[in-house]
Amino acid sequence: MNGLVLGGTYALLGIGLTLIFGLMNLVNFAHGEFYTLGAYATFAALTLGGLGFFAALAVAIVLGAAAGALCERVLLRPLRGESIDTTMLVMIGLWIVMQNGELLAWGGVAKSIPHPFPTAPLTLGPVGIAPLRLFVVAAALALIAASWLVIQRTRLGRAMRATFQDRETAALMGVRIDRIHTVTFAFGSALAAAAGALLGPIFLAYPSMGDLASAKAFCVVILGGLGNLAGATLGGLVLGIAEELGAGYVSSGYRDAVGFVIIILVLLFRPSGLFARAERIG
Amino acid sequence: MLKRWWSTLLVALVAGALAAPAGFAQSPIKIGVIEPLSGPVAASGNYVRMGAEIARDWVNAQGGVNGRKIELVIEDNKSDPKEAASAAEKLIVRDKVPAIMGAWGSSMTLAAMPKLQEYGVPMVVETSSASSVTKSGNPWIFRISPPSEMEALGLAQYVDKLGVKKADFLAVNTDWGRGSIQAFGDMLKKKGAEVGAAEFMEQSATDMSAQLTKIKSTGGDTLFLTTAVEQITLVLKQSQEQRLTRKVVTTGGSSSPSQLIKQAGAAAEGTYHIVFFMPWFPEAMPDGKLAKAFVDEWAKRGHPFEGLTEGFRGHDGIATIVEAVKIAGKDEAKAIQQALWKVSFTGVNGPIKFDKDGPAGKESGQSKPSIFLVQIKDGKVALPDFLAKK
Amino acid sequence: MKRAVIALAAVALLTLPFWLASPYHLHVAIMAGIFTILALSLNLLLGYTGQLSLGHAGFFGIGAYTSALLTLKLAWPVWLGLASAAALAGLAGWAIGRLALKVRGAYFVLVTISFAGMISLVSINWMELTNGPLGLPGVPAPELAGLSLRTKSAYYYLVLAAVAGSYLVCHRLVHSRLGRAFLALRENESLAESVGVDPTHTLVLATVVSAAMAGVAGGLYAHYTRFVSPEVFLFSYTVTMVIMVVAGGKGTLAGPVVGAVLFTVLPEALREAMPWQWQLLAYGVLLILLVFFLPRGIVPALSAWRR
Repeated sequence: MNGLVLGGTYALLGIGLTLIFGLMNLVNFAHGEFYTLGAYATFAALTLGGLGFFAALAVAIVLGAAAGALCERVLLRPLRGESIDTTMLVMIGLWIVMQNGELLAWGGVAKSIPHPFPTAPLTLGPVGIAPLRLFVVAAALALIAASWLVIQRTRLGRAMRATFQDRETAALMGVRIDRIHTVTFAFGSALAAAAGALLGPIFLAYPSMGDLASAKAFCVVILGGLGNLAGATLGGLVLGIAEELGAGYVSSGYRDAVGFVIIILVLLFRPSGLFARAERIG
Repeated sequence: MLKRWWSTLLVALVAGALAAPAGFAQSPIKIGVIEPLSGPVAASGNYVRMGAEIARDWVNAQGGVNGRKIELVIEDNKSDPKEAASAAEKLIVRDKVPAIMGAWGSSMTLAAMPKLQEYGVPMVVETSSASSVTKSGNPWIFRISPPSEMEALGLAQYVDKLGVKKADFLAVNTDWGRGSIQAFGDMLKKKGAEVGAAEFMEQSATDMSAQLTKIKSTGGDTLFLTTAVEQITLVLKQSQEQRLTRKVVTTGGSSSPSQLIKQAGAAAEGTYHIVFFMPWFPEAMPDGKLAKAFVDEWAKRGHPFEGLTEGFRGHDGIATIVEAVKIAGKDEAKAIQQALWKVSFTGVNGPIKFDKDGPAGKESGQSKPSIFLVQIKDGKVALPDFLAKK
Repeated sequence: MKRAVIALAAVALLTLPFWLASPYHLHVAIMAGIFTILALSLNLLLGYTGQLSLGHAGFFGIGAYTSALLTLKLAWPVWLGLASAAALAGLAGWAIGRLALKVRGAYFVLVTISFAGMISLVSINWMELTNGPLGLPGVPAPELAGLSLRTKSAYYYLVLAAVAGSYLVCHRLVHSRLGRAFLALRENESLAESVGVDPTHTLVLATVVSAAMAGVAGGLYAHYTRFVSPEVFLFSYTVTMVIMVVAGGKGTLAGPVVGAVLFTVLPEALREAMPWQWQLLAYGVLLILLVFFLPRGIVPALSAWRR
């Protein structure tokens, strides 16, 4: 069950990153920092702003989107023509700045994010699950579904998919590439912030929480195939569950290795990702 | 021709800037501090720093040492041994500190140790618990924190009263966690108790359900937990979810029971904690007045109460160095090192006096810190029943 | 004119220990040298073949542990330790090269990250071999004809020699037929293939040389700091290397050197310049500014400016 909690949030992170990575060809090292931003934003909204829990979550997501849009306009758009290494380096810089900014603002002490759910676990047959975790799974799935709807059904989503598949043609067809880039980055960052806002109350909020999140997100992107939404969703869930199982049956010290081993195996046998159709990338 | 003149000037300027000595003439006594102020254990490093700053301000309020004020030169080791070594070198060479306190984690301390030997500057170790710190034959190391073996010995007297018959271990996968399991395991076996499972968690891990499931199946009666307070919170919460009903004893002194009560709530009820400072009843400490004054000053500065269980280390470390400077009569590294052997006073934790530890001829100094056991009862920190004064 | 500048630089480097202000600066110089070797090695992959290896800390760490363990536990002489470090790291490079051959671009990145991650976990958990998180203290210093090279000045010359050697290797490699094959692969792989460049063979070779060089850097690091712990595999080392190569100017020979020196000196300079709270923040801001104004890197910008 815990696999689903982790899996749901990995999926959220993965979807955001695969969109950014796939569409903008950007190695977004700062992705984890938007995750952290989401957690701290929830904390701030709850404790400083006095908002309710669900309102705070909404604030966190909106803030993630706004911050993402801002970063894209200020940092990435001017560097549009540069190589992937250059944009990657800018993201590394952003990562350092955001993480240490948070350290400066909030201090290194972890913050506990209060939530309204009772702590006593509900029993579903032989397993006990905390209500908060149930909510997280539900919320994550809802957000994933919402993302799908946006990408598959709206005009914006169509424009994004078109840009991903064939940039030049999309531009010729009137898609405003600039705007799509901003929207994509904002969208991906919002999802990351949502993941942070959801996981924050379960775990704790501290400045370096984003590093592990980034790493897992990259794993999910590869598992699912670059730019592949379904792949990222399934990949996230698979990774979460596999980690739980792996830690249970293999030595707990090597738990994180599960993710790595999976990746290496996948890349050996299916280089385009577990769920990609027969596209050849690169 | 002009271009060459400019480049020569530039080189000269740069060389001059690099060569300029740091510091001025009639200067305060500088004490170096190396702590992890960023990265995963930034909270702990900052608490130690806050304690050190209180010690500095108190000393200066009383006129300093021999009429000179003390100044802390604080460096961040970023939880990276390479940085710890660089920081030590910079402090010694550029800032010319005659003594250092640091470096929190055992890896950081071990990495800085060769520099101490190279330049002949003493360091007071305030937190590291690996036995190798004092057993490496480095005569410039003076530790006031207990190695895991000493901690285990401190608990030995309560093992029967706690009723530990079969113990499991869950520790963070670092030198500290592993050393703790080793030390406590040995101690328990000597007392005739059984040792069940020994599980590990990565420093940044947030989900320990798998390890807890394994532990649940051993049928043990006590769980020894060694990690930082954030992970303890997570473990306790997840134990509650898994309905793990057994005694929990945290070791290492970094458990910050107050923070646990706040963050883990009911999940922390009944748990025992080995601490080296009891800020909830400071009068019970060896120097009750000093301890109470420290707690009050900490609160006055608005620092979080939870940090006291680590902050006192910073205070005691600086206080130790100050004592040594007083005895030495000057702020010179070799003199301070020799003076440290003569130090005998009472810090916030208790009496501080160094015994020889390690290979003969190049012993390090190891003090015998006081070790306490507390329990969380009814949402508050209290002495365990068998210790409470009647 | 250029000859005179190079000669001046050479003299300055050779006499560095004598005119640098303090041993601390010499320490920074030694670290800069070690990172220069690392940056040069990463540049072979990143700059010349166009493959981004984000697991380079893995090769660095393997080199460090290999040399440390062989000299500590088996009492081998340091030179043999360093050679073995290069060999073992090179072997790892060969394995990764063959493995990662099937993929390119983002996927190659992931394989290299996974590799470093796994090696890191092994070093933490395989207590019997590596002593896990407790690390290996007391790594011996090198000896040359009975003279210990423990002193900073001596070690500086050792590192300087290694840097010169690495630079020469890179230079020869880049200007050889193999080097042209690297460039061809980077620019257009299918075209390169069509003119007879074997991507398999070429990429694996690049990875092996790159890894072996990183391994030597690791060994040098181990014998200088005399303490090795799993932190050598920290991702932050890889990130630092990438910053050095890209900000310095990838695909050039001087770029990594400039980048390595700059980004070794910078954190230390920040240590002097500002209190600890602001150091890393300033580092990040400076990095962003640098990339913004010099997107191709420092060395290419300088070359363009001089024209």
